[in-house]
Amino acid sequence: MIIGVCLKQVPASDSRIKIDGSGAGVDASDLKMEINPYDEFALEEALKLKDAKVAKKVIVLTVGGSDSEQRIRDALARGADDAVRLDDAAFAGSDSLGIARILAAAAQKEGVGLILAGKQAIDDDNSQVPAMVAELLGWPQVTVVDKLELDGGSFKAWRQSGGGVRDVVTGSLPAVISADKGMNTPRYAKLRGIMMAKRKKIPVYDAAALGLDPASVGAAGAKVTQVNWSEPPARPPGRILSGEVPSMVKELVTLLRDEAKVL
Amino acid sequence: MYELPAHPAYDALFNPTEEHRMLREMVADFAAREVGPQAEEYDRKAHLNRALFNQVGELGLLGITVPEELGGAGLDAVAAVIVHEELSKFDPGFCLAYLAHSMLFVNNFLHCSNDEQKARFLGKTISGEWVGGMGMTEPDHGTDVLGMTTTAVLDGDHYVLNGTKTYITNGIEGDIFCVYAKTGGKISAFVVEATAPGFSKSAHIPKMGMRASSMSELIFDNCRVPVSNLLGEEGSGLTHMMRNLEIERLALAAMSTGIALRCVHEMVTYAHDRKAFGQSINRFGQIQRYIGESYASTEAARCLVYNVARAVAPDIQNRIGSDAAKLFAAPIGKQVADACMQVLGGAGYCDEYQIERLFRDAKLLEIGGGTIESHQKNLTKDLTRSICR
Repeated sequence: MIIGVCLKQVPASDSRIKIDGSGAGVDASDLKMEINPYDEFALEEALKLKDAKVAKKVIVLTVGGSDSEQRIRDALARGADDAVRLDDAAFAGSDSLGIARILAAAAQKEGVGLILAGKQAIDDDNSQVPAMVAELLGWPQVTVVDKLELDGGSFKAWRQSGGGVRDVVTGSLPAVISADKGMNTPRYAKLRGIMMAKRKKIPVYDAAALGLDPASVGAAGAKVTQVNWSEPPARPPGRILSGEVPSMVKELVTLLRDEAKVL
Repeated sequence: MYELPAHPAYDALFNPTEEHRMLREMVADFAAREVGPQAEEYDRKAHLNRALFNQVGELGLLGITVPEELGGAGLDAVAAVIVHEELSKFDPGFCLAYLAHSMLFVNNFLHCSNDEQKARFLGKTISGEWVGGMGMTEPDHGTDVLGMTTTAVLDGDHYVLNGTKTYITNGIEGDIFCVYAKTGGKISAFVVEATAPGFSKSAHIPKMGMRASSMSELIFDNCRVPVSNLLGEEGSGLTHMMRNLEIERLALAAMSTGIALRCVHEMVTYAHDRKAFGQSINRFGQIQRYIGESYASTEAARCLVYNVARAVAPDIQNRIGSDAAKLFAAPIGKQVADACMQVLGGAGYCDEYQIERLFRDAKLLEIGGGTIESHQKNLTKDLTRSICR
């Protein structure tokens, strides 16, 4: 079985995000990029399945420009066998559905039998793409998975469903699984992997190669358009109470209830 | 982590190829997640974290300069500099053990061993199964290396070694050492296994810094070493030693820049957050001087070290460059750690911020792998020979 891992590059989690001049995007000029952390869990799970000889190949699927190749090579250095970069001028301005169409087409082209993806990307936090890919392919899906087992043509997935309740979901392959934190501990690239990664070719597929109608992706096919970004409001300064402890506790409770409205 | 602002054009020097960049990111990630959290504990324990050392072996870093066909990564001096710089941001003491193994033993051995010796020893040292080190300094002979008194006398199919080496990093944990001894008045190099008859080690020598690596004497009392463990020809040891010192000095210089990078980052952060007299202390000119000069000197040292690293290779001799790089960079780590401690005040002097550990560690770089005085001596000699011939 071939596992496809959807991998996106995002600004490093400790980056200071600045809004660009248009007001509808991020100024990426000084941003350090990294693999979306949830995609790292997806990649690690795929590599573990390959180590266990459950999968024979792991292929990385990335929608992005040439600047995303560094992240793709990081994934190859960790042990992914192959990668394809999905890039076309027609892809620019894609919304989540457009991205999902591109990834679904690439997965089909590569003969993927299981798609692993992060449960969300930490840049826009939409959490939409894995579910859309599953829907487009007509495959079963389980989201926010923190444990996965495969047995022949079936899978068993564990997920937190809130309030301390855990769902256990079974289904058949092919399927789409989105990974949550806690699924595993991503491995480090090894030096030998880094040396091998530099030699690997990363094919680039455009809309024609994927058999996609350009009007179905990118800005032309987008149902959602981002019109405005704004900085979060400045946090009000903290307050330090003074006086005797009993009166401070009383004042604190009053403030939490009446002013902060958290009680 | 602990990166400073850098224009993309700087990559031409600091990350000249894609694999250099990936190597830096991998080591930086590993150092932040695995090396940093254990640093304080092993500074107190004063010995090598063997499990961490094994992890470094699994990552493939112990044979960084060994060709791929021999099981290594086949990378260059710039790559070695990157690894030492990133590890030293978190634990220079552990990095010193890494240096003693991967540079002083593995890289040294690589260039002076024959195929049979490589087959016997290289695999175990690249994997980390064995810890390696190097024995050059003696109780009465440091910089004056030609005055060494350890001898090796041929006796049948063995050499018999007598003498003592001291201040040997990895001495306690070491399984194998590259040892220099005189044969008929000239210096020869030998591989000595810790199991050799007549070989022993002293107890750990307590030290001020670099405490996450051990240090001991190596004692040779009629120590019998097979003739097959002679590296190269009899009398060729000095050449091997001098060639390997170049990458060793660059690696030590990179440890200093790693310490300095961490300290600049720490002082900038602390000076921004710390308030005095109603404002951040980075508003005070005295603090600004520490920050500005520390950053500039750190970047100057890095530029020299990385520039020289581009011109140090097995087939490129560059003692002038490597001496200059270590002479200039070694004091920078100590000076910037000192400035950082001054900015942090009492907090810097206490364990919590780990600056006092980096300050203690940094001093060694002005002594080990050649004192700064030896670099001054070498540079004067080599420059005079080059310019005044």
